[in-house]
Amino acid sequence: MIDEEELEQRTYRLLNEAAHIYRGNPPAAALLRSTLDRLADPLRLAVTGPARSGVSTLVSALIGEDLAPVELPGERPASVTYRDGTQPRAWWQDERGTPYEIPMVRTAHGLRMAPDARHARRPDGASRAVIEWPSRVLRRTELIDTHLPLPQALRTADAVLYVTPHLGETDLQALQASRGIRGPSVFPVQTMIVLSRADATGGGRTDALLTAKQAARRRRREPRIGALCQDVLAVSPLIAAAARTLRDDEFRAIATMAALPRAAAEPHLLSTDRFTAADALRPVAAQQRAQLLQRFGLGGIRLAITLARTGCDNAAALGERLQEHSGLKELQASIAELFTARRAALRARSALTTLDHLLRTQQVPPAVHLLAELELLLADAHEFRELRLLAALRSGRVNLPREHAVDARRLLGGSGTSLGERLGMSPEATAEDTWTQAHAAAERWREQAQGPGLPPAQRRAAEVVLRSCDMILAGLDSMAAPVGPGGYA
Amino acid sequence: MTSWETGPTAYAGPASLVPQSPVPARQAEPDPLRAAGALWWLDVLDSTIRTCGTHGRSEVAEWLSRRRAQLLRPELRVLVVGAAHQGKSQLINALINAGVCAVDAPGGTVVPAVVHHAESPAAQLIRRGSPSAEWTAEVGLQDRVPLGLEALDAAITEAAARFPAGTPVHADIAVPRTLLAGGLVLIDTPALPGLPASAERALGRASDLATYAGADLVLYTCEAGRELTDAELAVLQELARFFPGLLVVFTKTDYAIDWRRNLADSRTRLARAGVPAATTAVSATLRLHALRAGDTALNNESGFTDLIVHLQQMVAAKPDRLARDTVSRLGRIALEELAGPLRDELTAQQNAGLPDAVARLHTTQRRLDDLRKCAVRWQNTLSDEVGDLMSDIEHDLRERIRAVLAESDEYFTTADPAKAWDEFEPWLRQALTDLTGTSLSWLAERIEWMARRVADQFPPEVGEVLPPSALVTADERADGVPGLDAPPVAKFTPGQKLFIGLRGSYGGVIMFGLATSLAGMSLINPISIGGGALFGGKTIRDESKSLLKKRQAEARTAVQRHVDDIFVGLNKEARDTVRRAQRALRDHFTAVTEDLQEIVMESLRNAKAAADQDVAAREQHARRLQQELAVLVQLHSQARALGGRG
Repeated sequence: MIDEEELEQRTYRLLNEAAHIYRGNPPAAALLRSTLDRLADPLRLAVTGPARSGVSTLVSALIGEDLAPVELPGERPASVTYRDGTQPRAWWQDERGTPYEIPMVRTAHGLRMAPDARHARRPDGASRAVIEWPSRVLRRTELIDTHLPLPQALRTADAVLYVTPHLGETDLQALQASRGIRGPSVFPVQTMIVLSRADATGGGRTDALLTAKQAARRRRREPRIGALCQDVLAVSPLIAAAARTLRDDEFRAIATMAALPRAAAEPHLLSTDRFTAADALRPVAAQQRAQLLQRFGLGGIRLAITLARTGCDNAAALGERLQEHSGLKELQASIAELFTARRAALRARSALTTLDHLLRTQQVPPAVHLLAELELLLADAHEFRELRLLAALRSGRVNLPREHAVDARRLLGGSGTSLGERLGMSPEATAEDTWTQAHAAAERWREQAQGPGLPPAQRRAAEVVLRSCDMILAGLDSMAAPVGPGGYA
Repeated sequence: MTSWETGPTAYAGPASLVPQSPVPARQAEPDPLRAAGALWWLDVLDSTIRTCGTHGRSEVAEWLSRRRAQLLRPELRVLVVGAAHQGKSQLINALINAGVCAVDAPGGTVVPAVVHHAESPAAQLIRRGSPSAEWTAEVGLQDRVPLGLEALDAAITEAAARFPAGTPVHADIAVPRTLLAGGLVLIDTPALPGLPASAERALGRASDLATYAGADLVLYTCEAGRELTDAELAVLQELARFFPGLLVVFTKTDYAIDWRRNLADSRTRLARAGVPAATTAVSATLRLHALRAGDTALNNESGFTDLIVHLQQMVAAKPDRLARDTVSRLGRIALEELAGPLRDELTAQQNAGLPDAVARLHTTQRRLDDLRKCAVRWQNTLSDEVGDLMSDIEHDLRERIRAVLAESDEYFTTADPAKAWDEFEPWLRQALTDLTGTSLSWLAERIEWMARRVADQFPPEVGEVLPPSALVTADERADGVPGLDAPPVAKFTPGQKLFIGLRGSYGGVIMFGLATSLAGMSLINPISIGGGALFGGKTIRDESKSLLKKRQAEARTAVQRHVDDIFVGLNKEARDTVRRAQRALRDHFTAVTEDLQEIVMESLRNAKAAADQDVAAREQHARRLQQELAVLVQLHSQARALGGRG
């Protein structure tokens, strides 16, 4: 049984050894080198989905700036990577992966890049752009806006947000196909599904987002979907992006419309035609209304006006409430808990998947033992099972009694992966207390796991929590002389 | 029933339908052409069905008959299809202003619903016999599940769940509405799979649905927030082949931001793809809102007034224009389907290489040529072989005779013929008999071998042509070698001996008598007599020696002459045998060749006849195909004329 740190170290060792063995094979060696380099990089989160499903808008919403979509003269790039940097810069990668810096301008609806003809396109058509943008959001997570097919997108990313308007059979088949049947890719811990038409549910009524969220909650409990992803969330990327970048003039326009008597305003909110008609809603200029419609959509405007009527009296408050309603907050929380907090495990997972693929496709005699070691490492890695259980608890696929559920989530690292956080200790707690607490937790869950009281699914869950407790005890053991209380991490 | 359903047609929105000629006006004025050919489309359809029957395409005929029955029905069945979440059910609900079709269901519509008119509302779930059974077919009581009208969606789902998964079911819902009273039937369907991304599965599904549901008109829904995709265009193209009056309805115009641009783009795409489909844009939400609030202006804005007028026109046009258009299209499709294989057959026949019969003819001719070449070849071989054999056999005989002669010469250098003749003669006879036997058997072998060589010249496919062995064996000599009489031997009789002895002794007596007379003795004295005896004995010995030599020479000569005679006879006989064999072989192989030629000629005649017959048959077939095609073309132009009259 190993913890996150050890998983990372052993992955690193395995990759190093493989790089040594494959040094005579330039493509494989280059792949392994880049995989090794990536182990220290931030988590790469790909946002992908069918065309026109709101991928770029969701990326903008997550970053909190109107960056996506990136415009290029000619074709849209196949993938755009957004990463943290000291100042805004744009790079273009050619077929050898050598980046060229290219000029970039910010327009009303995103970024426009102006590559010169020399490296306008990659010969294979898969153009790749990298944007450096100073942003707190991107510090620990790189975002990749891509419209490549899912398996290809997964190859360059550690985790995936799959954005789709309605989760249909086609989407499920695509997800099923991208999931491996063996090795490290067998745990679907890297996928989250985003239903992006939340605001249009039921004709875009004010309660559309609520209905959509309920529907998403129902869907994530379906066993078939649960087996393919960590979570299903309903988000309206359009409202979320507008809410994150809500401007004062927009707030003022919304507040003005909200101040109108209901009877006067309602008929003009019935349809887009009525909303943008020249003689409607006089206090706000028609052009501004049209802009608002582009930014928020009709559902977003209805929601914003309702919120403005019910007490959001400044732009910040309205933006905050809109973000909540749009589902963005929930998505951010899910990403933080299931992806960002576990980035070491996810990075190790994608690195191991790459290595596994390499070892199986280009077999050389000295690498045979590496495959065995990889299997061993996977059997030891408890992280992936923890992540699956966390997601199952979140989505309600597994139900534990309420008090146990809270305990289990904490022990599984749902509120922080350090030993202290897992045990729920205050920073002042003494080493003794920590020991006692850890033993008590282990004892509690041993009872649960081995007792006869629980149905099979829950007992399996309890076994996973018990393993986590054992891991915590092992972690405490390995700290030979615990010097301070609490935060060991 | 509210008045909203039949609003004014004066809606001047941007989403107006293709202008329709007012149907009531046409009915008002008497049209002689129409009166005469009101059911002309029925005639064309019937003859098309008959043609399908005669061409053995019963499935096409059956399909057309099904459509024929549909066209004769007074009701207009409108099928509403489209991708998932495009507002199909809501469109029907808004059309009839009743919540009969489930909207916002998480999985979309699962059970298709047929909505029609009745005096009082009713609903039932109908189980069809098989997936390919017609929806309009009568079903028994046990296949009908009555449904409660309260919470209809739940009732439908619950009732459908009672049947095993995959059972073909649909809901049959009757509502009292004047819009439907004219015979309009609306059919809500589950989403077409794979759309809007891929058309692969949706294509077959859409055609099946339209066929089995008995649709007369197809409404394709697409939300106005996007353009039609390539896959949807493919599906529409397929539907437009079978259904005139295909209508693409863009829904949710109230919520879509740039729906006018999307609509214009979609129209351009439809036009570019050559899909003859009318388009319209509606908003079910606005219509339902308008009906609730009693707001005429809003109802007009929803775009439904136009759609309703269009549907009513279609109901009115069904027995005439719609039927004619439908028959025109179906007839053309069916006839093209029939003509395709015929045309292919015709081209294939024209492009095809030589038929079998002609190929066989050519093979036979080649065989005849081979046979002719073979006849020359075996004759050459035979004469060559005979020449060889002649010289070989002579040489062989000569060799053997020489050996016998050499031995007999050897023998007579020592033996005295007078004494050893009796011993020699049987040996000679035996040797000659052996020689004759050996030579003749060797000859027989050579002749047989020659026959094989000649037979080898025939092509292997004619089989065994070797003559029977009796033909070629040399005749056995009936009489053996004749005996040889002893040559006349010069006998040395005692008288001769005495005479010769006396003659020889004379000299001796004289010589010794003279010598002894010197000594005083008489001439004849014992000594001279003794000397005379000595000389006489020698003379006798010499004489008998020379006689032996002479006898031996004579015997050799006799043997040589005898053997020469034998050789000449044998040689003659061998040559005769070879000639006989040659003649026999020639006759035999000539007969074989003639037989073979006869057979090949026979098959050549057959092949020629077959080839002629075949060419004639092909020409006849081609003529028949062309005639059939001409009939089809005529029907096709009739079908096209039907469409053109509309």
